[in-house]
Amino acid sequence: MSTMSFSLRIWRQDGPNLPGALQRYTVHGVTDDMSILELLDRLNEDLIAQGQDPVAFDSDCREGICGTCGLVINGVAHGPKSQCTTCELRMREFRGGRTVDGLLEITVEPWRAGPFPIIKDLVVDRTAFDRIIAAGGYVTVNAGSAGEANDLKIAKPDADAAMDAASCIGCAACVAACPNASASLFTAAKIAQFTHLPQGAPERARRALRMVEQMDAEGFGDCSNHGECEAVCPKGISISNIAVMRREFAKALLGGG
Amino acid sequence: MSSLGTRVWSSVGKKLISGLTGLGLVIFVCIHLTGNLLLLVGADAFNRYSYFLEHLGHGAFIYFAEAGLVSFFALHIVSGISVWRRKAHARQVGYAVRGDAGGPSRKSLSSRSMLYSGILLAVYVPLHVAHFKYGGPPIIQLDGHEARDLYSLVVTEFKNPLIVALYSGAMLFLGLHLRHGIWSMLQSLGLLNRRLLPPAVTLAVIVSGLLAVGFLLLPLYVYLNPQVMPLTGGLG
Amino acid sequence: MSLDAPNRALDARSPSGPLDSRWTRHLEQVSLVSPANKRKRTVIVVGTGLAGGAAAATLAELGYNVLSFCIQDSPRRAHSVAAQGGINAAKNYQNDGDSVWRLFYDTIKGGDFRSRESNVHRLAELSANIIDQCVAQGVPFAREYGGTLANRSFGGAQVSRTFYARGQTGQQLLLGCYGSLMRQVDAGRVKLMAHREMLDLVVVDGKARGIVCRDLVTGQIERYAGDAVVLATGGYSTVFYLSTNAVNSNATAVLRCFKRGAFFANPSFTQIHPTCIPQAGDYQSKLTLMSESLRNDGRVWVPARPGDKRPPHEIPEAERDYYLERIYPSFGNLVPRDIASRQALYMAQEGKGVGATGYATYLDFAEAIARQGENVIRDRYGNLFSMYEEITGDDPYHAPMRIYPAPHYTMGGLWVDYNLMSTIPGLHVLGEANFSDHGANRLGASALMQGLADGYFVIPNTIGHYLANVRLDPVSTDHPAFAAAEAEVSGRLAKLLGTNGKRTVRDFHWALGRIMWEKVGMSRGASGLETAIREIQALRAEFWENVKVTGSTGNFNKDLEMAGRVADYLELGELMARDALERRESCGGHFREEYQTPEGEAVRDDAGFTHVAAWEHLGDTVAPARHQEALDFEFVTPSTRSYK
Repeated sequence: MSTMSFSLRIWRQDGPNLPGALQRYTVHGVTDDMSILELLDRLNEDLIAQGQDPVAFDSDCREGICGTCGLVINGVAHGPKSQCTTCELRMREFRGGRTVDGLLEITVEPWRAGPFPIIKDLVVDRTAFDRIIAAGGYVTVNAGSAGEANDLKIAKPDADAAMDAASCIGCAACVAACPNASASLFTAAKIAQFTHLPQGAPERARRALRMVEQMDAEGFGDCSNHGECEAVCPKGISISNIAVMRREFAKALLGGG
Repeated sequence: MSSLGTRVWSSVGKKLISGLTGLGLVIFVCIHLTGNLLLLVGADAFNRYSYFLEHLGHGAFIYFAEAGLVSFFALHIVSGISVWRRKAHARQVGYAVRGDAGGPSRKSLSSRSMLYSGILLAVYVPLHVAHFKYGGPPIIQLDGHEARDLYSLVVTEFKNPLIVALYSGAMLFLGLHLRHGIWSMLQSLGLLNRRLLPPAVTLAVIVSGLLAVGFLLLPLYVYLNPQVMPLTGGLG
Repeated sequence: MSLDAPNRALDARSPSGPLDSRWTRHLEQVSLVSPANKRKRTVIVVGTGLAGGAAAATLAELGYNVLSFCIQDSPRRAHSVAAQGGINAAKNYQNDGDSVWRLFYDTIKGGDFRSRESNVHRLAELSANIIDQCVAQGVPFAREYGGTLANRSFGGAQVSRTFYARGQTGQQLLLGCYGSLMRQVDAGRVKLMAHREMLDLVVVDGKARGIVCRDLVTGQIERYAGDAVVLATGGYSTVFYLSTNAVNSNATAVLRCFKRGAFFANPSFTQIHPTCIPQAGDYQSKLTLMSESLRNDGRVWVPARPGDKRPPHEIPEAERDYYLERIYPSFGNLVPRDIASRQALYMAQEGKGVGATGYATYLDFAEAIARQGENVIRDRYGNLFSMYEEITGDDPYHAPMRIYPAPHYTMGGLWVDYNLMSTIPGLHVLGEANFSDHGANRLGASALMQGLADGYFVIPNTIGHYLANVRLDPVSTDHPAFAAAEAEVSGRLAKLLGTNGKRTVRDFHWALGRIMWEKVGMSRGASGLETAIREIQALRAEFWENVKVTGSTGNFNKDLEMAGRVADYLELGELMARDALERRESCGGHFREEYQTPEGEAVRDDAGFTHVAAWEHLGDTVAPARHQEALDFEFVTPSTRSYK
């Protein structure tokens, strides 16, 4: 199959709080099997060879599980393919797309949210997510104090529901895609994981209250139930988890947490 | 940890408030429509219904209900505005290109316009109340009591094409608001799960459609039907 | 030349006595640090994967002050997250005859009798505690309808002892560990330093007392002091350029420690994983692993006739060679990784390889789907299948996967004693970064087990023994040793930026990867290794003359980060080749062409090489010295590994 040529519009910004702008780059000879990050690798090799500053973007595992990568591609977090991280997005997905002067055009922007300041170009600071987890996204159990694993029986549907919620990779596409820049799906997924499990039940109320409080303190927007988050989530985490978070929160409020 | 007030007014607390008040308002709208539809039965039924409401509990009920409705409206509006304000703060730099994620997203014209449809309704409702509560309809005799002839007031108004157009517009916005609002309030109250979510959205589309059609039925019926005329031939 | 030097204090401090009570008795004998004194001690933990994250959390639970460093923007992204298949534990929940002894034996045999009995037995003992701990943390392991934990079998084992969470076991274990770590951050006992890269170890009075790092966001060089350093920075498969490791996985921390005096053990012991998605083009940045668990249900085959280019569905059963089932009838598709990879290489060499490159083999689920139904297979491997489809565009439910071996795990690493302490007092090394438990080949589902055992249960008990018995003068970051280390680091960065040559960092890395893969990969010969050493030396010389690095040191600069790492790979690559050359036998993942049976099976030399090779850095212009730690087998008899 023939190769493709792309006209890329990429957000360039030298550092936090500095002005930025979209800049245009051209890359030829792109094959179907390349990922969009490998396309950027190629572009960067060209830029470095020309002595120019390469485009800063972050990625790590490049197999869709670490949650490091994340670009808004043509206005959609992680690009056009559903349940797929940026690093797993192959260029074949862009065949037949919009062209400008005979080149396929792609616009690449960073996650945009106040709590995620831009570090450089396409790299943002997501430590707000760590602080939300620190507020209660765990079971309080010290190493060595656990009982025999099989003494705790958990029905398969509950374990499966917990796993569905726990599969969150913390990429923050949910925030990037949310019209309100809300972190509800991320926070809810962790709260819901523990709601489905007996472990950590004594701290359920505290967890819901503290995690929500931290989420708000970080400056994320409120949820308007648009559901864009679920649509861009690489793991397809359902917004039903957000309903679970609200139930937990309501119970905690009524119970006095 | 935070105070109770902060918790209640947290992002999730506000959703609970918004959902709860929304639920109350939707129930109110359903009862309101049912009452309004008595107009189709006839002048007597409609006026008796309004007389009944105005005098229930020696006239106390109506004030109680109004107070409740006003506070529900107020909370619903204030929480809605708060969502909008935080949203503006949470993303100060927007995207150059906006695409739709498609798939399981529930984003719609309705969900994107909640603030605007809400504002229009917030403007409409006081006008509507002023119009019909304090519109000063003629007094008629009903089983030996003096009663307000709301039937004639409504019919007279709905013979005016401008009023019909404005009212119909407002009802379309009500439908638009409820298209997202009805399932969203269930989600906000944490009543949905993965299985119930899709039918809840369908339910919202149907109920919001029926409510809008129901409310639109009245002005069109009055305006287009020359048989329907005020009892007392005009208002002061 | 690196002839074996006399042993320099390579005391493994392995306990003696009956094997199954060694760890218990060791615990009874190690010195303790009182709670009041723990509060006065600061431990630096580098890396937040399963080993580092578990260590940081647990040490903080015990009361130590912990400084936790990670190269990623969040501890949750450490590369342990990518482990798919599962974690072994000798629970014997399946009543299939498993026991601590069997897990111990399988692991030591799987490692081709090149690991310590004491360590491996401890690992097998602790395996059960790990599952208990993870379940208590809320790790959503797969379960049966009755609510009990589910198990599956994994390569190299005849029992079902592998616990899993879909194909995301590493992620779930790591998130459990990350939760515990963040709990301690919240409690103020752990200070988290994300987006930091450790660039040097600071040794004061012969003891590890701190590190120098670069803040990857601001570019600032920073100094941190402590009473002990725990290194858990993972493996070094990225030396091969293309590997299953992450973009930021690197060898800098271990190599810097090596250059500060820590011995590097068995650097040539690398694992080539048999089931990865084949390379598709030169631009490719990594090889994606498909969990070995797929071999439970998938059957590996190639066309029986060399050069058969028909698509798989057109090749009838009779013309297929299910070579693993044919050669190894008792283990079949479940043979250990080194064997499966090498047989795939042989098939390619015989011209039976498939795919665009002719190096791949098929992994076919048709029979499993026919037998168990597509839903069962989807439930087990759904995410792996969709990952395969995303990458290749092919649907593995209807056509066999094409798989190919890829560098995956490094059994070698910094030498540590039974207490996980390196040859530098105070420097402890955990997880993949050390060499300790897997010998010459690691069995599937045992890396997660080792990382967590080291972090949750070993180091919390052994580090106290060091701290209780050592005299540590107060050291601040103003100490001359810190200034000297920082000056070296800054000088190096300046040199990288100042070279201003013509060849990009990636290009050098790619060139090194080619040398490593061809000459220090699955099959190694003396002449190839000698050539590799010369080529790497030449490439390294060129690197420092001709590398082109853009930007400056004072901000976020990926190019500079990679440049420093590649410079270190160019040193480590040579060390790997040297170790491979000196180990004149075939064992586990180390296959020397000169030492094989006529059928192509590995031939070990137990008389000459039943030892750990630990390399000592003697200077940049001098060859490193090779020391030996003899391995005593008191309880098992090294036998020829047979999976037939």
